[in-house]
Amino acid sequence: MEQLLVPAICKIEKIIDETPDVRTYRLKINDPAKMESFSWMPGQFVEFSLLGHGECTFCISSSATRKGYFDCSIKRAGIVTADIHSQLEEGMDVGIRGPYGNWFPIEDIKGKNLLFVGGGIGLAPLRSLIQYCIDNRNDYKDFTILYGARTSADMCYKEEIEEWKKNPTVKVILTIDKPEETWKENVGVVPKVLEEVVKPAIENTKVITCGPPIMIKYTLVSLDKLGFAPKDVITTLEMKMQCGLGKCGRCNIGSTYVCKDGPVFTYEQLKVLPDEF
Amino acid sequence: MDHSKQIQEIASRLFAENKIDYFVGYRQNSFDDTQVPFLITDPAEIPKLVFTERSVFNLSNYLKPDHTKRKRVGLVVKGCDSRALNLMLTESQVKRENVYIIGICCEGVLNEKGEKAQNCVECVMPDPVVYDEILGTASGKREYIVNADIKELAQKALTERADYFENIFENCIRCNACRHSCPLCYCAKCCIDQETSTLYHGANTSSAGMHALMTWSLHLAGRCVDCRNCEKACPSHLPLHLLHKQNEMVIYENFQQHLAGMEKDDRGAFYKYSLSDPDDFIL
Amino acid sequence: MNLIFETDKAGLQKFYEEIIAKFETYAPVEKFEKFDYKRVSKLEECNPDSPIPSTMSVKPLFFPKTAKVMKFQEDSSGTTVSETDEDPLAGKRVILGVKHCDARGLQVLDEVYKWDYIDTDYKKRRENTIILSTRCDKAGTQCFCTSLDYDVENSDAHDVRIVNGLDGKIYIQSVTEKGENFLKENSSQQSVVGSQQSVEEIKKHYKSFESSFRLKMNYKEVNEKLQKLFDSPEFDPVSSNCISCNTCAFICPTCHCFKISDEKIKDTGVRYKSYDSCNNGYFTLMAGGHNPRPAKYRRWRQRAMHKFVYYKERFGVNLCVGCGHCAISCPVNISIFDVVNQVAK
Repeated sequence: MEQLLVPAICKIEKIIDETPDVRTYRLKINDPAKMESFSWMPGQFVEFSLLGHGECTFCISSSATRKGYFDCSIKRAGIVTADIHSQLEEGMDVGIRGPYGNWFPIEDIKGKNLLFVGGGIGLAPLRSLIQYCIDNRNDYKDFTILYGARTSADMCYKEEIEEWKKNPTVKVILTIDKPEETWKENVGVVPKVLEEVVKPAIENTKVITCGPPIMIKYTLVSLDKLGFAPKDVITTLEMKMQCGLGKCGRCNIGSTYVCKDGPVFTYEQLKVLPDEF
Repeated sequence: MDHSKQIQEIASRLFAENKIDYFVGYRQNSFDDTQVPFLITDPAEIPKLVFTERSVFNLSNYLKPDHTKRKRVGLVVKGCDSRALNLMLTESQVKRENVYIIGICCEGVLNEKGEKAQNCVECVMPDPVVYDEILGTASGKREYIVNADIKELAQKALTERADYFENIFENCIRCNACRHSCPLCYCAKCCIDQETSTLYHGANTSSAGMHALMTWSLHLAGRCVDCRNCEKACPSHLPLHLLHKQNEMVIYENFQQHLAGMEKDDRGAFYKYSLSDPDDFIL
Repeated sequence: MNLIFETDKAGLQKFYEEIIAKFETYAPVEKFEKFDYKRVSKLEECNPDSPIPSTMSVKPLFFPKTAKVMKFQEDSSGTTVSETDEDPLAGKRVILGVKHCDARGLQVLDEVYKWDYIDTDYKKRRENTIILSTRCDKAGTQCFCTSLDYDVENSDAHDVRIVNGLDGKIYIQSVTEKGENFLKENSSQQSVVGSQQSVEEIKKHYKSFESSFRLKMNYKEVNEKLQKLFDSPEFDPVSSNCISCNTCAFICPTCHCFKISDEKIKDTGVRYKSYDSCNNGYFTLMAGGHNPRPAKYRRWRQRAMHKFVYYKERFGVNLCVGCGHCAISCPVNISIFDVVNQVAK
């Protein structure tokens, strides 16, 4: 067990400032053989350690189809994340364990229309899947990305969103909560824009959503209203985790371990879990 | 010392007059003659309330917001418990108007073996120092005595004392029951629990455990009221009073015979500074 | 697979002494009127017949209170990580005087440790340990092992069992193959091989033990009822006097939650894995302040349901083994027996 908890040392290749409180860390495992064999699926997570400060759970926000590196996008929220932001610089070492958990059902969503609904830092796990799907574009049909943030400054992956916009096979809809002078896209919370602007087709469509709890809550209501079946709505959960191995007993909701059986669940699966989050 | 009837009457009256949301007293254990703390919100539970010399636990602990959510509480206190409550009031942890205090003139409680508890033998103040209603006959303040075990400990050489405590702490499992059972350990997040602390961290190494207990006892120096909730709570039966009593003795001797929580608005020996304060006991 | 020896007090003492001389031996050692399993080198140091209110279960010998995960060092060239020099378990070891509930606890823990990722250290410790269990003569005030989902009489959680027969004789019986081999190699010279008569005596002893229980419940009914009682309002009153310390979890033979923490001084540090408890308010507190279990009743619900429902659902065995350690050690005497029975009333 103890060996399983020992992280691999990674070098920070690049730090990208996404928003005032979100940074993306581009990482590469120092041992080339380990980096070569390090493979993950969209939706999986890693245990990221700033040695001497502690471990945190983050999803990998890039796709394994883009080789040689992986990204973790980290929002400053607690003690360890504040330390990560203030102490880590490019070229420094961090520890990584993983990847752990299940992933988005990429086989199930093949040949379907995909609707991504993201809010704030919730775009991070979606980005991994979006990149994966763009790199395997022919496997999927229509592609819609709805992304909302509190303000335009709080939007993550701005450059990449521009790229997606240029891609003719991808439809991108952006929204912010309150009007801003230079903002030309939608204004309003995600569920409202989803109902009024996106008006998605239900037929043969899978919805993949992630965002702050309050957004998820109302988005699920909107999707229900629009007529989506719970099994077609896929989301990813966040729980406090420590080991990622199904041992430390922290992340369970009922007899379901978020770290092993999740973090990706369909709304149908979530509905039967005890209401603990 | 059986005040069960009176306490039940007072509790009924308080609920009837809508003066409290919670009543905190004691209930008989089903399997032997020991008692457990009992929090009630429903007047139907009142007949279960008891108070005898088996009512050991310091109920002031339940004034922490985690238990009674800063609501109005009726509370039973003995002499030592009331001193703890006095400190909580002084340190702005409890609002006086939110607590209705039933003070008991204590005749001493019993330990697990059925003998008079050691801290009751050494008790300086068996009567409640703060109360709305008082039960029993007041017997007044007593002389401060230092027990033989503390005297003996104080005479040991420093290294010997360190070994002595190390031997005790070896059995500590770091469950923190001592801290959670102490009414005066009310910090929202204890320094021992800080994730980023490099000294204490969560690990059960002897150095981290020793640091944690030492820091804890120093935070209680001049505040500990010797209710020994911690010692009774300890699953390993560690003689934790040795830490506190030794501090208490040093403070009593050096700070104008100070005893914690005896008077209203007394903030404790370490909160007052005077140039004439002695400092030769500092290592 | 059922080697039985008959002996007497002196013979048993000799048997223990031989084991202690020959193997790395652990046994209940008394300190401050509480017992904890410790390494012993003489029989006088320990009491394999320790009474029931012990402080710790045998769990820490397999899942240590604190284990070093790794060491790390930072220098100009970067960070290096090295494994600690602690060997999980070098040779064979023997534990004396384990209560059958404690041993059952290990069997229950096996399930989570062999699930998915295998905990190799734990496995190694389990494989290299011989467990000698002394059967209780009488149930403690908080015991309810016979009410749960396992067969206490024929439990194979320990390798060898020692029974203080009602006829004044002492019976040493092997339960597993490991135990049989151990007895073949290490049986005391004075012992006499037992007969059918001894089997009967052991049964008789069990009957007398079984009749001494104060606490009894209908496990099947409680389990079935609890499955539907996640939203029961009863969790609030039963947990109202809980002081949110970690005692119950740390001394429980089957609680296995842990946390990871770093100790760093200048450029070097150690990462530790140590016990944690779901009764602790910070247990599920997430960065940013969201806590799915902020109130005591939610944490107690998690504890009770994990013990009696979730684990059973996932791994097929009940997590609580009915040892009563938690109730004995609880500062405010909350008993998990009372909690589940109150909720499933």
